[in-house]
Amino acid sequence: MDFYFGMLQIVGLHTILGLSAYIILLTGQVSMAQAGFMSIGAYIAGMLTVLAEMHLIPAMLIGGVAAALVACIVGFPALRVKGLMLVVATIAFGEFIRIFWFNFDYQISRGGVKLGPEGGEGFKQIRFFPENGWSTLDVAIFIWVVAGAVIAAVWWMDRSRAGKVLRAVGEDDLAAQSAGINLTVVKVSAFTAGGFIAGLGGSVYAHYTTHIEHLNFDIVMATFAIIYPILGGLSNVFGTILAVIFVQVFLLEVLRPLGDLRNLLFGAMIIVVMNFMPHGLFSAQVASRIKGVFSGRKEGANA
Amino acid sequence: MLEIKTLSKHFGGVRAVDELDFTVRQGEIFGLIGPNGSGKSTTVNLVTGIFPPTAGEIIFDGRDITTAQPHVTLDAGIARTFQNIRLFNNMTVWENLWVAQNSAEDKKATNLLSRWMGGSRKAKSQVEEYLEFSALADKRDELAGNLAFGEQRRLEVARALAAKPKMVLLDEPAAGMNREEVRALDERLRALKARGITVLLVEHVMELVMEVTDRIAVLNFGQKIAEGTPSEIQNNQAVKDAYLGTSGD
Amino acid sequence: MDYVQAIVDGLLFGAVYALIGIGFTLIFGVMNKINMAYAAASFAGAYVSLGIAQVVGLSGDFGLPPFVMFLVSAVAGGVFAYIVYLICFRFTPDHYELASLMATIGTLLMVDEMVVQATNGEPQNYPEVLQGIFDNPMLEFSEEFAIRGDLLTLFIVAVIATLGLLWVLFRTKLGLATRAVAQQRMAAQLCGIRVDRTNATTFVIAGVLGGLAGAMIGAVVGTLLQSLVVIPLTIKGLIVTVIGGLGSIPGAIVGGLMVGAFENVFLAIRGVTERDMYVMLLLFVFLAFRPQGLFGRVAVRD
Repeated sequence: MDFYFGMLQIVGLHTILGLSAYIILLTGQVSMAQAGFMSIGAYIAGMLTVLAEMHLIPAMLIGGVAAALVACIVGFPALRVKGLMLVVATIAFGEFIRIFWFNFDYQISRGGVKLGPEGGEGFKQIRFFPENGWSTLDVAIFIWVVAGAVIAAVWWMDRSRAGKVLRAVGEDDLAAQSAGINLTVVKVSAFTAGGFIAGLGGSVYAHYTTHIEHLNFDIVMATFAIIYPILGGLSNVFGTILAVIFVQVFLLEVLRPLGDLRNLLFGAMIIVVMNFMPHGLFSAQVASRIKGVFSGRKEGANA
Repeated sequence: MLEIKTLSKHFGGVRAVDELDFTVRQGEIFGLIGPNGSGKSTTVNLVTGIFPPTAGEIIFDGRDITTAQPHVTLDAGIARTFQNIRLFNNMTVWENLWVAQNSAEDKKATNLLSRWMGGSRKAKSQVEEYLEFSALADKRDELAGNLAFGEQRRLEVARALAAKPKMVLLDEPAAGMNREEVRALDERLRALKARGITVLLVEHVMELVMEVTDRIAVLNFGQKIAEGTPSEIQNNQAVKDAYLGTSGD
Repeated sequence: MDYVQAIVDGLLFGAVYALIGIGFTLIFGVMNKINMAYAAASFAGAYVSLGIAQVVGLSGDFGLPPFVMFLVSAVAGGVFAYIVYLICFRFTPDHYELASLMATIGTLLMVDEMVVQATNGEPQNYPEVLQGIFDNPMLEFSEEFAIRGDLLTLFIVAVIATLGLLWVLFRTKLGLATRAVAQQRMAAQLCGIRVDRTNATTFVIAGVLGGLAGAMIGAVVGTLLQSLVVIPLTIKGLIVTVIGGLGSIPGAIVGGLMVGAFENVFLAIRGVTERDMYVMLLLFVFLAFRPQGLFGRVAVRD
């Protein structure tokens, strides 16, 4: 049974990560820095619960806000570079944060035990869940409460006027600007919101694994974040969730007997999909039907 | 209402617009014509802030908008359409109008959250009004990219109106239209005027310009070579020379 | 005197960064797209040469003469680059650059994993074939300052490779076609240039340069370690390309030498674990103040 709860936890965490990239991608910006933002939430929330002995909930919020602040600062220069340059810039930024944690040492001694991040060794003993007696099921439920809140928030935003504004910028930023949309505000807001969600996801992730290190937040994680919304087709949040289930459950778990070749499979899957279904696995029609089920009305019949 | 003062734009060595002066008065339909490459589109892009001018001033409604960004010129009250239609193709007709409600009035009238998250009831009913005005009410849930060419042009004008501008800048709205569509456009332009909206019309289709405008400025090689009423322009020798000299299209 | 030594060593070693940067920039020039898998695929070429050397041995009776290592690496780099072209660019939609971008990122992850599988993530000793051509140290100016013979050899090989590339680009019909496609794709097509073939050839040329760069890194450092080579050098190559200006060959050369010197100075000051952070900071400074890079064209709209 624990295996399925574990699966559930991973899908929940990756859904949060994918939606953090989804918001930014709506504005036409490809951010490869999501793993970096996630690591900020993870380390900060972990340090707050372990070193400051704070409760998880405020620690998570602070972790999310810290990641959002960094994302906001990244968002401004990102306005000056577009398209492929932004990809290079965000990859470099993600790696910058990763190397930062690699060099980051902040340990205190408590009761003869050293606690806190220890550079390349990582940050061990983030034991909020076991210390408070949470079972695997409890943790799975908690992750899905957070994921559910994120899904609901992004879904609602997407349907609102704000969502249309993001999409307008993504489709044609010049036309959007001429229709009165302030590009700076919209693009930086998208980065900030994406950073907050990634940071939130990271803070949950740190407590779920209890041991984080810089290698958790490498380019593979950054690619996960961006590939979910791309595979999901960007028409709504449900495509992203389906993509997470497809990659994490089907591709990586069901095909596990093939051996320890996860990244190989993952890379090969991206290549195949981009050649044969470049606009995503889940077409707009499938996605809108699911959307119709959830919103209780028929929609997009002519999409 | 719109004052252009010794406006210049140089791209490298090319003087796309060269010391241009003209004034558009409140409530009129002002035509801007000239052969291809005479600087009409550059002028539109300068006025709407797509790029800043090399020299000169642009005053709108008493406000200096010379170096304002596009969304700021819209705030000031100038909305525009594009020569090669730029709609949000993967969004529905209704959504195209919804996102465009960014006038200064919209920003004041409703609080930030309701504006961003839902838009007020009033704002939504205004979208309906623009749908009616541009005869697109039955296409409201259609994706903008799937509309016919003429419908796309109408939607773009409706999108400009959704920002409740004091003035609209139309960049060749009749390009590619048939005679009947041009006549319908003519009527809609008059309807705009009747609503008190000033129109700056950049156009190639002469019958429309001569029919509908109050005054016209003629550009050639980035400079103004004539200005006056349609009948004055039709009898102007410099204009005839400019068009005959380059009558390619 | 310490810094002078660091800067000179860095400039010499920067020649391989310049080669990698030239590869990225060449591909960007003709395709207007970034090949994220470029550096990784070329380094896979260096691993192939290493594999062959491990099987047959170097020199000896039936062994490989050292320079053949470079040749094998360069050829394998070219072959891999062509495969990348086929799986990431040839059949992905041309107007939708996200498709080829993601496909190359997928390839990058795949190559990285393949190298891990092939080497168990262990560092592999690379024969130091650049030793012995010049004395080491080659020129000794004082106690503290000398020019390393292997680095000098590396630099000279890189210069020859670059001159060779420039000769191809500016003195051959193939180069003419490449430049035509880079400047005016449509017009080139109308002139009867086969854009597909030109693109593929450009990939191969870039791959050859990358394979050579990979072999030289192995030879100078003495080992190839996947976790320090495949992805980190991809990122460094991208940084060189952006600093030089996307699409500019002189930019990639100057950018490569600059990054080489810069990182070596920070290696001396802050140590190896922090070195790359400063290289990234250099990139951010460029993005903030000169986003078009050293030699880049000012971005023209559309």
